[in-house]
Amino acid sequence: MRKLTKLGAVAALTVALSSGAALSQEMDGITIGFLPGVVDPFYQVMELGVNAAAAELGITVITQIPPTWGVEVQTPILDAMVARGDIDYLVIAPTDKDQMVGPLQNALEAGIKIITVDTFLGDGDYADGPVTFPLSYIGSDNVEGGRISARGLAKAIGGEGKVYINSTNPNVSSVEGRAIGFNEVMDNEYPDIEVIGLDFNLDDMNTAVQQTAATLERVPDLAGVFGTNVFSAQGAGTAVVNAGLGGAVQVVAYDATKFAIEQLREGVVSLVLAQKPFDMGYLAVSFAAADAAGVTSLPVRVETGFAIIDIDNVDDPEVARFIYQVPE
Amino acid sequence: MAQPDPEAAAKAEFAAPKTRSTTDQIILSIIQVWAGVFLAILILVFVISIPLVSGSSVSFLTVRNSQNILVAITPILLLGLGQTFVIISGGIDLSVGWVMSFASVISALALREAYNAGLALPLAVVVGFGTAVIGSGFVGFLNGVIIAKLKVPPFIVTLGMSFIVRGAALLMSENTTVIGLPRGVRDYGNESLLYFIRGEGGGFYFFTKPEISGEMLRRMDRIISYPVLVTVIVVAISIFVLRRTKFGRHTYAIGGNREAAVRAGVPVDRHIIKLYMLSAATAGIAGFLSMLRFTAGSAVIGDPLLLSSIAAVIIGGVSLFGGSGSLVGTVIGSLIIAVLTTGLVMLNVQSFWQFIVVGAVVILAVLIDQSRDMIKNKIETR
Repeated sequence: MRKLTKLGAVAALTVALSSGAALSQEMDGITIGFLPGVVDPFYQVMELGVNAAAAELGITVITQIPPTWGVEVQTPILDAMVARGDIDYLVIAPTDKDQMVGPLQNALEAGIKIITVDTFLGDGDYADGPVTFPLSYIGSDNVEGGRISARGLAKAIGGEGKVYINSTNPNVSSVEGRAIGFNEVMDNEYPDIEVIGLDFNLDDMNTAVQQTAATLERVPDLAGVFGTNVFSAQGAGTAVVNAGLGGAVQVVAYDATKFAIEQLREGVVSLVLAQKPFDMGYLAVSFAAADAAGVTSLPVRVETGFAIIDIDNVDDPEVARFIYQVPE
Repeated sequence: MAQPDPEAAAKAEFAAPKTRSTTDQIILSIIQVWAGVFLAILILVFVISIPLVSGSSVSFLTVRNSQNILVAITPILLLGLGQTFVIISGGIDLSVGWVMSFASVISALALREAYNAGLALPLAVVVGFGTAVIGSGFVGFLNGVIIAKLKVPPFIVTLGMSFIVRGAALLMSENTTVIGLPRGVRDYGNESLLYFIRGEGGGFYFFTKPEISGEMLRRMDRIISYPVLVTVIVVAISIFVLRRTKFGRHTYAIGGNREAAVRAGVPVDRHIIKLYMLSAATAGIAGFLSMLRFTAGSAVIGDPLLLSSIAAVIIGGVSLFGGSGSLVGTVIGSLIIAVLTTGLVMLNVQSFWQFIVVGAVVILAVLIDQSRDMIKNKIETR
């Protein structure tokens, strides 16, 4: 709450002082706009990375976080940031790989260089793909995350058995990619593992419990569940524990929020896949600074990778640093 | 004192005309409980088809399945409960989903703070419950006052309020999820009144969870979990209030004919405020229970439930134009939705088809309900 209030104050202040501030910043150095996808722990950790790099490099950051996910919400905020006229670089997580191309092209024409984080434009290949105007993409691919989740789950269940996927919505590219990568690895690398189904809980944890409970009735020898986000995994894990199968049926959760880690410690989920949002934010700002300083050889695509957290390594500082620690 | 007109009118809704042929009487009694018949048919379809499709060892009629379904309907039913009162009175409350999220957040914060301040866990849970009911009741009070006193349409007031409440819930929940609840909260949301262990060394256990592990744990069913128990109590009280009290009769009267209710001396404005408070409070209880169940306060938990809860009310035969309907109908409507979800997953129906089937059943149910009214009118005007 404190954080949001602070953001509000900063926003009000920037509006009030916009003309004067813009002048002084031009002399001090560059200004970066940061526009993530939605207010959630993943992007809040990314914001920490952005702010850390900005503080080290003496860069001003203007942050705007959309309250809900979607092109209709993100575009007006983007347009308002462009209209300010003082932003040199924009670090953005586009909420749609196709629909955000136009609005971002407008930003480019207004003289703002674009770096995409977490999500990309086009097919994410800014060298030879359909969209090439952004400087760089920094993130971890959802399909690859699905693959790594599959390998983690396969290892946990001993390479054989039946597994089930519980996902949120059919039309969201991130969770869709995770399921695709998961299925691909199970099909190609683990002949003894069968994916017995995929259900959509429509972002309703209660439905996730019900669907998983029904699946456990249908497939009593189920070995594992892949929850494509924290809430799907939490719902699935609740059904598993209430069926007396905690520990016997392995549940993988995507994204290492503190809630996911709490559920890991409670035994509701057994594996947590962590992305590296702090690194994404930190790198994006560093790239902007390097570009402003005249560095020309920046990679157009950086994969920040994943960490798998389980109950055995959750207290290892080397692993625990990937938990999404958001200050309260 | 003479009985005021609208109350008599509301009673006439249930009073059967004196003379009627036997066939008419049979038809009338069937359409009276049609939603129950529909539910029974649905269950029968799943009982027969599931072993055929998913293997003979899979059965729809198990103790565990019945409990899974009961747990699944608790939030839908609690949201639908207050909504039933509001819709019978001719209004609508579109804020219940978000009020549930709001209650989930504030009750989690209150429970956590109370526990950290040194209160024993059961007392902290009570504090959480009180916060949920009072906090959401206050939101309902605002809804009611704006609707009744300032004469703004309920559709607009509750829609606007849902945005306000959503913002408040997001502001108060650090990062959309309130975590760090004391250990043991999970038991309140997931343990039950009764335990039954199937097979060898099994049997019934009351109140305390048997000390077992491993393979036996798998054979244990939780019967009447605490969220279900709370919901049953709330439902029973609500049915009594709607059927047997002046409060209930006034609700029907306002929905049937508001002008007549005013003339008959029903305190319409005050009653409407109470109805929206009731609707928000039952949504608050739903938020509180989900907080216990998932051991976290979530600012988004109730959003997806609004439409399911309204669907349950409509399937149950409550008229969107107000004046008629019953809570038993809403209970059956919720059951139909939950039975469908569980049954279709057990049939391994592809998820896209599940959407189509659920949508078709909702429309079918309302169609049957409308034809019921037609048949009823025809017979009664004979």
